[in-house]
Amino acid sequence: MNNTEQIKRSLKKRYAKERRFRLYGLTAIVVSFLFLFTLLADITLKAIPAFTQAWVQLDVSFESDTLGLDNVNEQTINEGKFRKAVKSSTYNLFPDVSKRKQKKELSALVSGGAQYQIRDQLLDNPEWLGTTQTVWVKADDQLDVWLESDGELGKISEQQEQWIAALQEQDRIKRSFNTTLFTAGDSREPEQAGILGALVGSLLTLAVTLVLSITVGVATAIYLEIFAPQNRFTDFIEININNLAAVPSIIFGLLGLAIFISLFGVPRSTPLVGGLVLSLMTLPTIIVSSRAALKSVPPSLMEAALGLGASKMQAVFQHALPLAMPGILTGAIIGMAQALGETAPLLMIGMVAFIVDVPSGVLDAATVLPVQIYLWADSPERAFTAMTAAGILILLVFLVAMNSLAIVLRKRFERRW
Amino acid sequence: MENDLHIDQHISQRFNEELEDLRSKVLEMGGLVEQQVMDGTDALVNGDAELGAKVVERDTQVNAMEVAMDESCVEIIARRQPTASDLRLIVSIIKTITDLERIGDQAEKLGAFAVQLSDKGVSADKYSNLENISSKALAVLRKALDAFARMDHEAALEAAKMDEKVDQEYEAILRQVMTYMMEDPREIKKAMRVLWAARALERIGDHAKNISEYVVYLVKGKDIRHLDSLPEAKSL
Amino acid sequence: MSNNTDQQNTDLDQLVGETTGTPFLPDEKVKMSARNVDVFYADKQAIFDNSLDIGKNEVLAMIGPSGCGKSTFLRTLNRMNDTIPICRITGEIKLDDENIYGKDIDPVLLRARVGMVFQKPNPFPKSIYDNVAYGPRLHGLARNKADLDEIVVTSLKRAGLFDEVKDRLDASGTGLSGGQQQRLCIARTIAVSPEVILMDEPASALDPIATAIIEELIDELRQNFTIAIVTHSMQQAARVSQRTAYFHLGKLVEVGETNQIFTNPAHQLTENYITGRFG
Repeated sequence: MNNTEQIKRSLKKRYAKERRFRLYGLTAIVVSFLFLFTLLADITLKAIPAFTQAWVQLDVSFESDTLGLDNVNEQTINEGKFRKAVKSSTYNLFPDVSKRKQKKELSALVSGGAQYQIRDQLLDNPEWLGTTQTVWVKADDQLDVWLESDGELGKISEQQEQWIAALQEQDRIKRSFNTTLFTAGDSREPEQAGILGALVGSLLTLAVTLVLSITVGVATAIYLEIFAPQNRFTDFIEININNLAAVPSIIFGLLGLAIFISLFGVPRSTPLVGGLVLSLMTLPTIIVSSRAALKSVPPSLMEAALGLGASKMQAVFQHALPLAMPGILTGAIIGMAQALGETAPLLMIGMVAFIVDVPSGVLDAATVLPVQIYLWADSPERAFTAMTAAGILILLVFLVAMNSLAIVLRKRFERRW
Repeated sequence: MENDLHIDQHISQRFNEELEDLRSKVLEMGGLVEQQVMDGTDALVNGDAELGAKVVERDTQVNAMEVAMDESCVEIIARRQPTASDLRLIVSIIKTITDLERIGDQAEKLGAFAVQLSDKGVSADKYSNLENISSKALAVLRKALDAFARMDHEAALEAAKMDEKVDQEYEAILRQVMTYMMEDPREIKKAMRVLWAARALERIGDHAKNISEYVVYLVKGKDIRHLDSLPEAKSL
Repeated sequence: MSNNTDQQNTDLDQLVGETTGTPFLPDEKVKMSARNVDVFYADKQAIFDNSLDIGKNEVLAMIGPSGCGKSTFLRTLNRMNDTIPICRITGEIKLDDENIYGKDIDPVLLRARVGMVFQKPNPFPKSIYDNVAYGPRLHGLARNKADLDEIVVTSLKRAGLFDEVKDRLDASGTGLSGGQQQRLCIARTIAVSPEVILMDEPASALDPIATAIIEELIDELRQNFTIAIVTHSMQQAARVSQRTAYFHLGKLVEVGETNQIFTNPAHQLTENYITGRFG
């Protein structure tokens, strides 16, 4: 039959079309992978310097006279003149330096936080009082940057270069992993700045968001999906929920500012108010996905339970909800990921403040990861560029970890029916 | 028509054809059997051995038709699982063809008697009563087949009623033959043959009556067999 | 009621007329009775003025073309239609002389008395044991673990499933074959000891062997329960039931002894349906 011939000819065309389409798809994936790879590689490369820290070795004399301390304890320690101790031990590195300007340049090589470091060390080792100890103190961020960039970046004078070379010869300069990044709060000095404050802030904020949005969201979804009568009012609510998902997030920030802070007096800049605002933002996502998950539970199971004489609530909580859990969790993951990366609404409620302390509760002032990144990106110091990249990496790792946890949880909830 | 079984209204066209085919085959078989009975009687009454032999020979055709139709019915039951009127139709047909085949056997017997009698150089012309009973039995058969063809339960009831006439006729022949035998014992053998022939015709009437009863079952779904009084069935 | 429905009603009356056959039984035999039942979905009427008795320890089969209202009617018998907000029911349905739509009747209690088995086997994604134990636990029918064990084992035995699953009561109910799943659902239903079991096409998703087993089971269950079964398979209705009811466009056309319905139905519509004719 010539029919076969015709079909054969059209088949060729169809297959060609199919191949072309597959190619387009593949290209799209490759391109997006390239972009992603470039982005990640760029960020990672930029972030590497932030993970190392330069240290300078000093011979600090903990003489009672120089420090102005007779004994070491919590009350008196703050009266010690550690700044002077650091300075004099720095000058001792190069005793021939005498000019005031040169002295200033020399002491600039050591981090301004060195005095606090040796103070803490002395507090930990009270027996050091009256002795001279060799200690490693953090180098200044300029020195750090200069070392990391092999002398291309960082404000280092020629005189300083010579000193550094001399110090390196004496093995008085070392570089090691930057633990401060993970153990400290924010600081104006890059070498003293850490992300822990923002990390804890993010965790606390997300915890508030999770608890609020999942309980309220799932309850809403169950009510709307299963109990609510079908009428204009519920239709209206449904449309509004769907529309809320598309509202720009800054609006939620304004709303939070007006309602939670001004009206209810929730303390500003706290994870609590941040969580409240982010809950508002994630609620639509969670409600919509939870409803979809509940809808996808085979109605036959609910019917079976009802047919056995279960009340509607029993049927929902014993059968529909467990089966909808994976879907609900997926919605929660998406919502949380959204919340984790959100900055705009938090700017409105004061979470952009410069906060040095690591928050210890939902009522402490705090900042969150994306805001921290934003703050660092805005800082003038050269070393903050690397810190910004490192912050982004940490945020990404946090996100991936959170999503993996959610996926593991979902797998555990997932059951065949 | 109230009693129409609408066998042409199935959703399955093939089923329609199968049932229609089966029904027309029953009528065809009925026609053949009717012919056999007529020819058998003719051969006997006219002492026509040739016709008698022909009747005997043709009975194989009747038997073959019964077997073929039985098979069709079994096939339909297996494949279509007929219900209600269809089920009644199939059951009636299975039973009807059995009775038709028996009628065919009786007709064959008539033909065989004709051959045997003419061998002896005698005919049954003396017993013209045979023609009477034959025509009455044939009338029952025709009426029953007619009722089947038209799905007419009233005609079927009439046919069943007509069988009584055949029985009466048989009684009459029996008495007549007994008289002959008492008059002339030498005639006993021949008389017995005639009696058997009459007996065969009476059986034909009974089978025809059965067929008419199946028609009533087919149309009305009521089994009127072995009811002592027909009036009860008349209430239909 | 809209004019549309009125029109529909009149047409139906002309086509069907009064229910033929024997919808009513002598009082002492009646387990459930429906009188003048109408069911509406919003403005659309799905069931038209149906009256029917279901006898004690009998299997009543409900047959009819798709959308004829047989399932809807079945669901009115244990108020499963209550879960559909737009569904409205008028008329009277009695279980042992008690109007199940009465104000003092709790539908949850009613469903424990009138159990239901669905078309698609729908075991809970739990263990076989938990599936059967669900109802008794829900209603607190077992005083202790031993009690519950006994209920589970008895129910599984009654459903003819025990021998097949006795070694793996902890296995998931969804891992069973289709026929076993359906028997599990039956076991789950009878574990609550209902008085009436409603079955909505219980074997339509099963192969012939599994179907035969279910049908055999239905016949055995009849000794202890009253059963109403909706089925698309006329052969099945013929095999399992004592009485058969034929529905057409929401109207009960004919009720009668199954033998009579399948050999000599009184109504032309019934005849047309069961013999596969246009009608």
